[in-house]
Amino acid sequence: MSAGQIEQVERRADVANATPHVEVRGLVVRRSGRVVLDVDGLELRRGEILALVGPNGAGKSTLVTALALLERPAAGTILLDGEQVDWRRGLLAARRRLAIVFQEPLLFDTTVADNVATGLKLRGISGREREPLVARWLDRLGIVHLARRQARTLSGGEAQRTSLARALVLAPELLLLDEPFAALDAPTREALTDDLLPLLRETATTTVLVTHDRDEALEMGDRIGVILDGRLVQVDRPEAVLAAPANEAVAAFFRRRRPAAPRSDAILHSSPT
Amino acid sequence: MSRRPPAGASHCARPHCAPLLLPSLRRRGGWGVRAFFVLVVSLALAIPISAHADEPRLLLGTTVGMERSGLLEILLPPFERQTGRQVTVVAVSAPQALGLGVRGEVDALLVDATDDEPGYVAAGHAVDRRLVMHADEVVVGPRNDPAQAATASGLDDALRRIAASNSGWVSRADNSGLHQLEKRLWREAGLDPIGQAWYQPLGQGMAQTLTAATERQAYVLADRLTFVERRDLLDLAVAVEGAPELLRLYHVLVVNPLKGSWIDEAGARALAEYLGSADAQAIIQTFGQERFGRPIFVPDAGRTEQELRPASRPAA
Amino acid sequence: MDLFFEGLARAVTLLLQGDRELLRVTLLSLQVSGTATILCLLVGVPLGTALALTRFPGRGIALGLVNTGMGLPPVVVGLIVSIMLWRTGPLGQLRLLYTPTAMVIAQCVIALPIVVGLTVAAIQQLNPKLRLQILGLGASRMQLLWLLIREARLPLLAAVMAGFGAVISEVGASIMVGGNLLGQTRVLTTATVMEVSKGEFGAAMAFSVVLLLLVYTVNALLTWVQQRGRPL
Repeated sequence: MSAGQIEQVERRADVANATPHVEVRGLVVRRSGRVVLDVDGLELRRGEILALVGPNGAGKSTLVTALALLERPAAGTILLDGEQVDWRRGLLAARRRLAIVFQEPLLFDTTVADNVATGLKLRGISGREREPLVARWLDRLGIVHLARRQARTLSGGEAQRTSLARALVLAPELLLLDEPFAALDAPTREALTDDLLPLLRETATTTVLVTHDRDEALEMGDRIGVILDGRLVQVDRPEAVLAAPANEAVAAFFRRRRPAAPRSDAILHSSPT
Repeated sequence: MSRRPPAGASHCARPHCAPLLLPSLRRRGGWGVRAFFVLVVSLALAIPISAHADEPRLLLGTTVGMERSGLLEILLPPFERQTGRQVTVVAVSAPQALGLGVRGEVDALLVDATDDEPGYVAAGHAVDRRLVMHADEVVVGPRNDPAQAATASGLDDALRRIAASNSGWVSRADNSGLHQLEKRLWREAGLDPIGQAWYQPLGQGMAQTLTAATERQAYVLADRLTFVERRDLLDLAVAVEGAPELLRLYHVLVVNPLKGSWIDEAGARALAEYLGSADAQAIIQTFGQERFGRPIFVPDAGRTEQELRPASRPAA
Repeated sequence: MDLFFEGLARAVTLLLQGDRELLRVTLLSLQVSGTATILCLLVGVPLGTALALTRFPGRGIALGLVNTGMGLPPVVVGLIVSIMLWRTGPLGQLRLLYTPTAMVIAQCVIALPIVVGLTVAAIQQLNPKLRLQILGLGASRMQLLWLLIREARLPLLAAVMAGFGAVISEVGASIMVGGNLLGQTRVLTTATVMEVSKGEFGAAMAFSVVLLLLVYTVNALLTWVQQRGRPL
């Protein structure tokens, strides 16, 4: 294994002993009467990155929107730091501990800096306090030079960096990423994930990353969660999922039809050892 | 909200970064737009929104022609001063004014709908009706008078000659007081102009009807005031004048207070009194002298319709 | 054509002279229509946004009514408002007939469907996921409304201009509820109609020119605000 891989394994061991930060119990989401999501239990450790994978329509985005407290489940509870989220009271306060980034950047029709500052303004943070925070995160995501640009003039990668900065500047306890890199081309995607991962580690932000890219999942996730037909069929470390897939469908998801083109810095080999 | 301090973040240490960044984060143009809107809003709201009537208002329904003549601007202020009432002149057409009276939406009427008024009073819509003044109207037509209306033996004869000629006749046909007078004249002359080729109903006001008449070089019944005002623009001359049938009588009516408690009966009666008073009648008598060289209205307080138009028959 | 130039020349002369009557009439036009537009904004934009975002039984009917209301003839509105404000009417006690306030009310009724209808369209044209993103950033319901409105500001400004344009140029309602009283409820449109019926086409043209100038100025300003910072 390379030095990078060793470092990753060590980090994963670190977080393994922390207390549960986010917990989900018996979550059921219905749409048009149909049950689209049914998760018995899920626990996230503080600072852990959970990569959520599954075929289209499996319910990944649903889980993420439910976790973001944007969609009220038909049944079940969500706990943050052991406290149950009450959908009737204190919802806004709970929501403000989270942040979500979608596949589309969904930026506002204003400057990049303004976009990034939005969440802070919503929380009533004064301009003087906002400026350094915004400046710092623009820098960390490499878009300082775009601060004054109108959001609608940005490229896909730049826009998504802005969206990420907008979320990360809020120092969320739980960060939800719904296929944030799916619309980007491979080089842009790689550059972004290369920038993002250290930031997440550094801030120890608990993250749920939805992706349909298995390499991304294997690379980014401390654990991988597989959703099939609305059910969470397996949650485990990447090696474990590869070594012992819960069922044929999971195995099929990670199986490669042809070997990946060899790269000099490949982190994982194509076939399980 | 907890904030995590940046742990070993690679922030831009180069000197140009900070000043470049901070100004760019300030809102630009925000204050200009805000000031603009404050200005607009305050300008708009300086409107006399509270200008719903605080003082007692007496609503007088009258005709557009009467209001336009300018007589009321001179006639009403003394009344307003004496009684402390503000008179709001609702200038509409004669039938519309009568209609408002039926609903009790005005307190008094000053109109020239002589044919309709007796029935109006009989139906109980008005409780008092007094003659205030009259204006005399004229039949005007082409200067060379092709129908020879000026030499006719009377108004009836003149109208028949006009009907028989091919000069044509233009009519307001808008149910105004003048139009009703016109209809009465045709009736009394024994003619039914509706549908005839020489009869052209317009459905418009006096000024436009006169314009049409001069364009087509036809005859028309006009109120003297408008004709005199526009004389320079028209290529028409007076063909018939002075006949008693051509008198347009203005009455003041007091709307029946039983219509509702809001009817200012005292004010309406005071106005009726005032219009018949010597002061008001004097104003009426001299009105128009300066502007047109001759008075427009003739004061008639105390007289009745029958005295002025003995030969006229009421509408069938 | 000469009438047009005569009117133009007269309008300019009167304006430069500061003709009191003309200025008063113009100011009242601006005030009445400006107030009506602003009131419609304050009521109509939130109403339209709510209508666009919420599902409720009868929503289709409500939208249909709004869209129909956009085509209401002003004179019909004037008639209905008159009847309400008549002394015999339900609101007769307020004694608002023949006052500028009555004109503002009537013009509000005219402009409101326009503003609401265009707001609904403007909000519906936003990305449906934007709402989720805004909530996901921790917005309260009011903050959500505000951010959505801000995002739709271009078409919303167009809605404002449409509403203002509709009421500054209407005459049917103004005449019915205002009465065109000299010095009190005479506005540019009612003055123009009056001059036309007097046959004073030159004066009517002058009023018309001033009205057009006024409308253009206001819309130019609003367009500038709308297009700021958008070279293309």
